[in-house]
Amino acid sequence: MEKSSNHPAYELLAAYSAGSLPLSQALCISAHMEHCSDCTRQLQRLNRVGSELMQQLKPAEASDSLKARLLDSLDSLVDEPAEDEVKAVDPSIPRCLHQFIDNSYDKLSWKQVSADIETVELCRDSNGARVELLKIKPGGSANTHTHMGDEYTVILEGSFSDESGLYRQGDFMVKGTADRHTPVATLDRECICLAVTEGPIQFTGFFSRLLNPFIRRSYA
Amino acid sequence: MPAMTNRKSNSEKLELLGNYMLRVANERDKSAFAKLFDHYAPQLRAYSLAREPGADLVADELVQEVMTRVWLKADKYNAKLSNLNTWIFTLARNCRIDYLRRNGRYATEIDPTDIFNDMEDEGPGPFQLVQQSRAEESIRAGLEQLPREQSEILTKVYLEGKSHQQASEELSLPLGTVKSRVRLALKKLEVLVER
Repeated sequence: MEKSSNHPAYELLAAYSAGSLPLSQALCISAHMEHCSDCTRQLQRLNRVGSELMQQLKPAEASDSLKARLLDSLDSLVDEPAEDEVKAVDPSIPRCLHQFIDNSYDKLSWKQVSADIETVELCRDSNGARVELLKIKPGGSANTHTHMGDEYTVILEGSFSDESGLYRQGDFMVKGTADRHTPVATLDRECICLAVTEGPIQFTGFFSRLLNPFIRRSYA
Repeated sequence: MPAMTNRKSNSEKLELLGNYMLRVANERDKSAFAKLFDHYAPQLRAYSLAREPGADLVADELVQEVMTRVWLKADKYNAKLSNLNTWIFTLARNCRIDYLRRNGRYATEIDPTDIFNDMEDEGPGPFQLVQQSRAEESIRAGLEQLPREQSEILTKVYLEGKSHQQASEELSLPLGTVKSRVRLALKKLEVLVER
C-alpha cells in the first residue's frame, strides 16, 4: 500500500495553511495532523511560504489614529480564558473536535443506521457539508456506496480496510463521486471515523421531503 | 552583491523585531510594541486589502485584532521555536478566518479556534531551526524565480484567500490545473516534506 495515499495532498495542506479551505475540511486536516508529524512539519513550511508572500506585498501605511487607538487600549485588554480548561474531554480525542464533544465518544447520541454502523452528526458547514462521526463495529462493514460529493475521512480510533488497502488511526482519505468502496472494520475493535460529506442535494418540497430518509440511508 | 546585503538586513531586522517582542513580553514595554506596530501594521493592512481591495476599515480591524493578540500572547511566543514573521502570518490568517465567520460569510457552527492554533509553528528542535532559516532564505529566493502562472496561483490562494474552485473560475482553468500548479510551485520552492 502506498503510504502517501493516507495523507492530505500537498495542495490541500497549502489551502489549509492559507486559511482558504472550508472549515469542515480543515477539521479533517487538523485531526490528521495530531497523528502525523510529517504533515505538521509540512504545515510549518507552508506557513512560512504564506509569511514570505505576505512580506512581498506592497506595504499599506497605517494611520496614526489607528496606532494611537491601539496603544490606548492596551491597558484594558484581557486575555479570554481557554474554554477547554473547564471541559474534561478525553485527551485521545483530537483537539479540533472538543467543541462538539463534552467528554467521550461513548456519551454522544449515536444513531444506528445499519446493523454494523452508528453515526452522530456533529454539525454542518456553510457549503452544506455534513460533519459526522461514524462507528463501525468490529469486523463490521459499510455497504458499498458512492458519494454525491467528495467525502473526507479521518480514522480516529481502530482501523478499516477497503478495496485499496488498510487504513489506520490518523489516516486521511478523500473519495470522489466516481469512487466506490466498501470499508470493513478490522476484527480487533470498533472503528470510529470523522467523515465530512459534501452535501447530498436536500429536497425541501412536501413530497420530496418524504424521500430524504432514503437518500440519507443510501450514503450513510 | 545586493541580494546578500538584502538577506543580511532581513535577518538583522528579524532579530531586532525579536528583541522588541521580548521587551513586550517581559516588560510590557509599549514603545517596543509601537515599533512592532510600525513594522507589521502596513504588512497586515496589505494582506487584508489583497483579499478585499478598498476595504480600509476591514484592514484596520485586522491590524487591531492581530496586534491585540501580539500584546496578549507575547509571553507565549518563543523565538527559539518559531519565526516571528511566520507567527504573525498565522495570527493574521486566523484573524481573517474569525472575521469572515463573525460576519456571516461562513454560516457555520464550526469554531475555527481549535482548528487553527495560534502556536502552530512550534515544535522543531535546534537542529531543525538551522534548517528553517535556510529554508526561509530559499523560499524568498524561490518566490522571485517562480513562473508567473505559479506565483499568481499562490497569491490567489494565500493572499486573496481563494479556494481552488474560485481560483479555477477566475483564471478560467480546470480545477486539476489549479491544483497541479500549486503543487509545482511548492516543489520549485523546495518546501515539500517526504511523507
